[in-house]
This record gives sequence, C-alpha cells and structure tokens, in this order.
Amino acid sequence: MNGPSVADMALLAPELILVGIALVLVVAARRLRSSAVPVIATVVAALAACFVCGWILSSEPKIGFGGMFTVDGYSQFFKVLIAATLVLVALLSVKSFERDNVPRGEYHALLLLASTGMMLSVSALDLLSLYLGLELTTLCAYILVGITVDKPTANEAAIKYFLLGSFASALLLFGMALTYGLTGTTDFAGIAQALTDQGPASSPLLLVGIGLVAAGLAFKISAVPFHAWSPDAYEGASAPVAALLATGSKVAGLAALGRVCQVAFASQEEVLTVVLVVLAGLSILVGSVIAVSQTDMKRLLAYSSIAHAGYALLGLVGGPAGGATATMTYAFLYVFMTIGAFGVVIALGRRGESLDGYQGLAAQRPVTAAIMLLFLLSLTGLPPTAGFAAKFVVITSAIRADQVVLAVLAVVCTVVTAFVYLRIAVFMYMKEPQQSQQPEPSRVPAAVTVALAVAALVTLIGGVFPGILTAWVVSP
Amino acid sequence: MIEYPILSMTTFLPLVGAVAILVIRHERVARWTALATTLLTFAVSIPLYTQLDKNNAALQFVESAEWIPAWNIAYGMGVDGISVPFIGLATLLSVLCISVSWTAVKTRVRGFYAAILVAETAMIGVFAASNLFLFFMFWELMVVPMFLLIGVWGGPGRVFAAVKFLLFTLAGSVLMLVGMIGLYDSCGTLDFKALADAKDILTPEHQAWLFAAFLAAFAVKVPMFPFHTWLPDAHTEAPTAGSVILAGILLKMGAYGFLRVSIPILPDGLALFLQPMLVISAVAIVYGAYVTLVQTDMKRLIAFSSVSHMGFVTLGIFTLDQRGVEGAILQMINHGIVSAALFLCVGMIYERTHTREIKDYGGVGKVAPVYAVLLALFCLASAGFPGLNSFVGEFLIIGAAFKTHAGLGGMAIWGVGLGTAYIVWLFYRVVMGKLNPGLEGLRLELNAREIATLAPLAVGVVCLGLYPEWILSYLHAPVAELLAGISR
Repeated sequence: MNGPSVADMALLAPELILVGIALVLVVAARRLRSSAVPVIATVVAALAACFVCGWILSSEPKIGFGGMFTVDGYSQFFKVLIAATLVLVALLSVKSFERDNVPRGEYHALLLLASTGMMLSVSALDLLSLYLGLELTTLCAYILVGITVDKPTANEAAIKYFLLGSFASALLLFGMALTYGLTGTTDFAGIAQALTDQGPASSPLLLVGIGLVAAGLAFKISAVPFHAWSPDAYEGASAPVAALLATGSKVAGLAALGRVCQVAFASQEEVLTVVLVVLAGLSILVGSVIAVSQTDMKRLLAYSSIAHAGYALLGLVGGPAGGATATMTYAFLYVFMTIGAFGVVIALGRRGESLDGYQGLAAQRPVTAAIMLLFLLSLTGLPPTAGFAAKFVVITSAIRADQVVLAVLAVVCTVVTAFVYLRIAVFMYMKEPQQSQQPEPSRVPAAVTVALAVAALVTLIGGVFPGILTAWVVSP
Repeated sequence: MIEYPILSMTTFLPLVGAVAILVIRHERVARWTALATTLLTFAVSIPLYTQLDKNNAALQFVESAEWIPAWNIAYGMGVDGISVPFIGLATLLSVLCISVSWTAVKTRVRGFYAAILVAETAMIGVFAASNLFLFFMFWELMVVPMFLLIGVWGGPGRVFAAVKFLLFTLAGSVLMLVGMIGLYDSCGTLDFKALADAKDILTPEHQAWLFAAFLAAFAVKVPMFPFHTWLPDAHTEAPTAGSVILAGILLKMGAYGFLRVSIPILPDGLALFLQPMLVISAVAIVYGAYVTLVQTDMKRLIAFSSVSHMGFVTLGIFTLDQRGVEGAILQMINHGIVSAALFLCVGMIYERTHTREIKDYGGVGKVAPVYAVLLALFCLASAGFPGLNSFVGEFLIIGAAFKTHAGLGGMAIWGVGLGTAYIVWLFYRVVMGKLNPGLEGLRLELNAREIATLAPLAVGVVCLGLYPEWILSYLHAPVAELLAGISR
C-alpha cells in the first residue's frame, strides 16, 4: 500500500484545521495574555471546519487512506454537528473559568483535539481508525474533566472516568480483536462480506465479539448498564466540559455505533436488535427514573443524557433496513437542547448548579427562565419544540421495527422525565426566591448569550420546521 | 368564498399578540393589547360562522401547505360544522378571560396574558387542524400555558394541582402519540380525510389497539370516569380565567377527539369498546353528581359537576345516533357556556371575599341582586331548566340513550335529578337566607365590566335554549356524514 496521497489529505481537511489550530494554541499557550484569543481561535477553526464539511467537501461518498476513512453524507452530517457543538462549548467556556486557574490555551487545544477525535471516528471505515478516533476523544476528555486542578472533586471525577474509560476501551479493543480473528479483516466492508459468507451466528465467539464492541461503544454514549461513570464525571467536571461529554462525544459514539451496526455487522441484525433494544430500554428507564431524585443540576442532566442516549438508540433498532436517519435527527436536535440547558446552568454561575438555585428565577431573570423553559420542554419532548420532532422520528422508527412495547415504554418514561424537567420549571416559576441566596454575577458574557440564542433558535426552529433538517440526514 | 387564510389568521393572531405582550414593558399596555387581540381574533373568526356552507359535510376554508415533505406531513387547516361552534366558543371565552382577569391578576401580569393568548392559539388550532400531526401539536401546546396558569397564578394548592394536571394529561397524550405513529406507520399519512379513507387496511384488532391508545388521551381530557381525578384539583386551584378555559374548552377537546379521530378512523375498534364506553359514561353522570352533592367548596362543586355533565356528552356521542351525537355536541357548547359562566361568577365573588367555602356565604342576594339574578340564570341552565340551553342538549341525549338501552336513559334521568339538587342547593346556600355576618361591609355587587363579561353568556344561555337550531343547523350534515361513515 502506498502512503497517503494529496487527495487523501484533502479528505481530512476539517480535522487538519482543528489539529493545526490546536497545535498553534499549545505552542503559543505561554505567550497568550488575553483569554479571548484561544476562544476566538477555537470558534474560527470550528466554523471553518463546519464550512468545509458542509459546503466544500461534497457528500458524494469518497474513500481514502486505503479504505480506512470515508467522507460521505453520514459523516459530513455528524461533522457539521460536532463542529457546531465545539463552537457552542467554546463560547460557553468563556464564563466558567473566569475564576478558576485553568490554562486557557491548553484547554482550548484539548477541546479542539477531542473534537478532531470525534470527527475521525464518524468517518472511520475500519475498526482501527475507529478506535484511534474514539481514543483521541476520550484521552482529551479525561484531562478536560480534571482540568480544574485546584478542585478535588474534578480530580476524583477524572480518575474515576479514566479507570472506567480504560476498562471500556479494553473491552472495545478485545471485541475488535475477536472480530478480526473471526473475519481476518478490520475493514467494515470486509467484515460484512466475511460474516455474510459465514452465515448468521456462525460462532459463539462472534457473539462475544459483537457484544464487546457494542459494550465499548455503549460506554461512550453512556447507555445503561455502561453509564455509571457519567453522573460522577459530569458533576466533577466544569459545566462546559460536561456539556461536551453529553453532546459531542455522545454523538460521535452514536455515529460510530450506527455505522458499525449497519455496515460492519449488517448481517447480524437479529443479535444486534436484541442488544440495542436492551440498551435502549434500560437507558430510557434507568435514566429517567434516577433523574427524579437528583438535586444537582449536572447530575440531573447526566441522567437525562443517559435517558436520551436510550431514545437515540430507538432509531437504530430497525437494523439496516430501518436506516439511521431517526438517530441522526435525534442526535442533531438533542445536541442543541442539551447544550442550551447546560448553557443556562453556566450563565447562572454557581447558583445554576443546584436545583434550589432555580427558585424564583422567573421573577428575577425572566428571559433566562423562559429560555430554560424552552430547553426543558424540548428535553421533555413537547411540541412545538425540537424535542418533539426528535421523539416523533425515533418512536416512528421503533414502531416500524415492530418494537411496540419498547415504544410504549419510551413514551411512558417521557412522563417521568416530564416530572424531572418540569420540577425545574416549578422551581423557576412557582417558588419564591430564597432570601439567603447570594445574587449571582449579574453580567452574562456576550459569548454565552450568543451560544444560548443559537441553541434556543435551533430548538425552536427544529420543532416548528423539522423539514429543514430531513434533507441532510443520510444513512451510512 | 373567502380568499385569505382565515383559519391560520384566527389561530395565530393570539400568538402574535402573546409575543407582542412579552416585548411590551408596560403592564397596562399589555392588558389592553391582550383585550384587543382577543377581540380582533373574534372579529376575524366571524366569517367562519356566517360563510360556512352548512349543507356540506366536507372540511371547508381548507388551507394546505408543504411542511415536512420527507415525512409526508403537510400543514393543513379546515373546519366543518362540528368544529366551527367550538372555535366560536374559544374565541368568545378568551375575550371574557381577559376581561375577568382585569383586576384579579396582580402579579406577573404580562406573563399571565401571554399564557392566555398562547392557550387561545392552541384551542383554536385543535379545532381547526385538518391533520393529526398538527392536531397533536396544538393539543400538546395547550398543556404548557395551562400548567403555568394553574401553577403560577392559582390558589394555595396550585403547584400540586399544576403538576398533577400536567402528568395526567401527558400520560394520556403520549399514548396518543404512539397511536398516531401507529396510524402513520400503517396508512402512511396523517390527514384526517385520507386516514378515514384508508382505514380499511387496518385489521379490527389493530384498530382496537389504536382506539385504546387514543382513548387514553381523550378519556383523560374529557375526563371520563375514572380518569377524572386531576380535574377537581386543576379547576379549583386555577385562577378564574384558567378554570374558564379548562371547563369551557379543554374538556371539549377530548370529546372532539372522539368525533374527529376515533369514530371516523377507527370504527371497528370503536365497535369493541362501545358497550364499556356507554356504561362508564352513565356511571360518570351518576357518580359525578353524587360527589358534587357533598362538596363544600364552590369551585370544587362546579368542577365535579363537569364530570357529570361531560358524562352526558360522552353518552350522547357513543349512542352513535344522529340525535344523540348532535345533542352531545350541542351539550358541549352548552356546558362550555354554563360552566364558564359559573366559574366566572365564583371568581368574581371570590375576588371580593377571598373564600370559596360555601359556608362563608349566604344571603348574597340581599346585597347583590344583579349578581343573584345572573347566578340564578346560570344555575337553572346548569340544572337543565326548560327554555334554557342545557335542556335541549340533555333532552336529545336522553332520548337517544333510551333508544340504545333503557337503563342508560334511566341513569341519565337520575343524573339530571341530582344535577338539579346540587346546583339549586348551592344557589340556596349562597344567595338565599340571611346575610352571612362575614360578608357585611363588602361591596358584593358586580361592576359594569363584570356584568358585561357575563352578559354574552347570559344571552347565549337564553338564545340557545329558545332556538337551539342556531347550533344544530351546523351539525346536521357533518354528523350524518360521520355516522354514515361507520356503517359503511
């Protein structure tokens, strides 16, 4: 095999942009006086990557690097989404670290590198490139979770995340190794071909391999029973990092899972359906029920994100015939409402991190409260917000796949999550502000305002005109 | 015919007003904007009532636009004789809601009027939508402003009532979502007309499941016994305008759902559920009436009476008889007028006395004769007094019920008797007798604004009682078409 050609490198353009800026930031980190430079650099890099993915690289499927890497409609959709996530997270980071002793240059370089890893994994056509992309993301994420070195909780969270994360990576790698052993290739198309030739469920080892790969990926999207890390990690991490974990890395994991299930293991639909149904059902149930008792906002949003991972998986239970469009739509809309909710938490500062801090918010900050209400309604799945369109597609997908029981479970859990989210609304609108509450810093930086406005706009438009999005979703 | 999109205008005008109110900083201006918006909406909707072709059962004033082509879902509006009276009721009651809250609401005034206007959009939208997706959108949109109206501006138990209301209605409507997606999956469309034409591809068993899914949503909204327990809490704790919207319109949405979705699209499923539906309707009439008798809180009493009155409505619908269904729809309008008026009456006096307990009243007629006369009129209407509106509706429903089964008719009559008892007893305890010492020194008589608020409803009660054909003439053709569709 020859080395990569110029044409191959061109396919990597968005990733190269992000890596390039990340390297510049790392090199220049010591000289950076202003905290605005890294933010602006990150946002510009992410917008450039977004632009390259969305407009310059056409969605005609192209394959590079000897079949390890592809640029197709599926990957471009997710890359645009990941780049948008990066923009919003970078904007939200402006406020959080005002007081903490965080090296700005390194922080943003890590955000960029983590996003690069996500982009690589959604483009991967080979188990190895997939693993590299996912690991790049998680390695950066471990550091990002613990980046507020002065906070012991952050250190603890980072170590927990690291231990469980390495374990999950080992599972994933073991599953990949078994798959390689049985099929003789790590290439998705090659695996699919070999498995089709061998016939369905040819070996119990194959089941183990599929199970381990699914488990490793389920960890990345924090689906139950591989979710235990996420509430601790989110709680310990600073809010923008938690937002990145809840959106970007989850989306990358979903995209990878979608491609692995529907391309590499396409012939193993029966096994995968069972695995996905169990993961989805458990995630929805456990995530929504445990969220009821949470009083820390980041933990609450962690459990909510676990439930949402389950909802997103509903879009994959139809197997290759059902496609992944429902999951793609869900992932897209989910990102904006979740980042929005985290954005409000960030905008409110320390007060926003506990549920009690929301008491009487509507009287003091009506606009912030109204925007939060919008995100909460969307997370619940009530029209006319994006959350409803998202729920509509995934439940349609589940019913098309004849998983009616799962669909009913999913909607019934919506009522449970409604209680979770609307409890916050009750606090905001129906309780009086606490007397002892210290007033939060009144000024919200413009960057956070912009991020909130974008998230709110997408959440609203995505709910009223979901048709805009449907043109862009393409199954792998 | 009308060339402009009248239904969309009527539906979204209040939403525009709500946005305007949120932008306006001044509370007084916001209040006047709200009133102007609701009046304008009512004015805009007038051609719907005058220009509708009453002999045509098809949807009219149809609007359609591309919306989500990839899912084969279009934006579609259209009304027939069944939906038009409800739009009239919704636009009228919204004006009265603004008017009655003029001085009663003192906190977060802008938010309150914005919530009422958003609720108005949702109410009109539910009755104007011509496809299930849009219907569902409006149906759910209704929940949020109601949740806030109850929870923010309600009485002492408002938070519990608001959350209970929300969880109950949501539990029903998520199952409707599954039913809707089931229909969508089988028929590939969500247009009401197309679904009714495509229903033959559904097996009876499939239809029965779908019927059950929709029943969950509609039964909670109506509310049918035993899904009514959210109602007394929500109605009691809601501010007056909230109670008016709940009793006047929201309860009708469930029954309208039966007429628009369950009966025309799922007739085979309906056949399976018909007997139990009739029985629980009759049970709701009698049970609701007994529970109403023992209430000590005025608002709670009227709230429970709704359970009984809505039992008449569902009984009439499920007789599947031309007169019964027409009577049921007429009764929905009647109940919308009468219960709204009773809640307004209670709200007006509550604003002065700050108590809803019946025992704190007595002899109000001595100091507030106009109030007493209006309350008497509405109480008599609620009891089904001949010459007033509810009489006609109940008469038609009971006639049809006797035709279906004598037992049902008997229970309905029993319910009418109890209904007279509880409402007359309420009137007696509040208005007659000696003036309660606690009320001395209070100015209980209504002012001009309040009389003007009740006047349109009083006119409606009398006019519909004397000339019910006013509403019934809208219903003949579409109801005949609806019932013909089942037997086909």
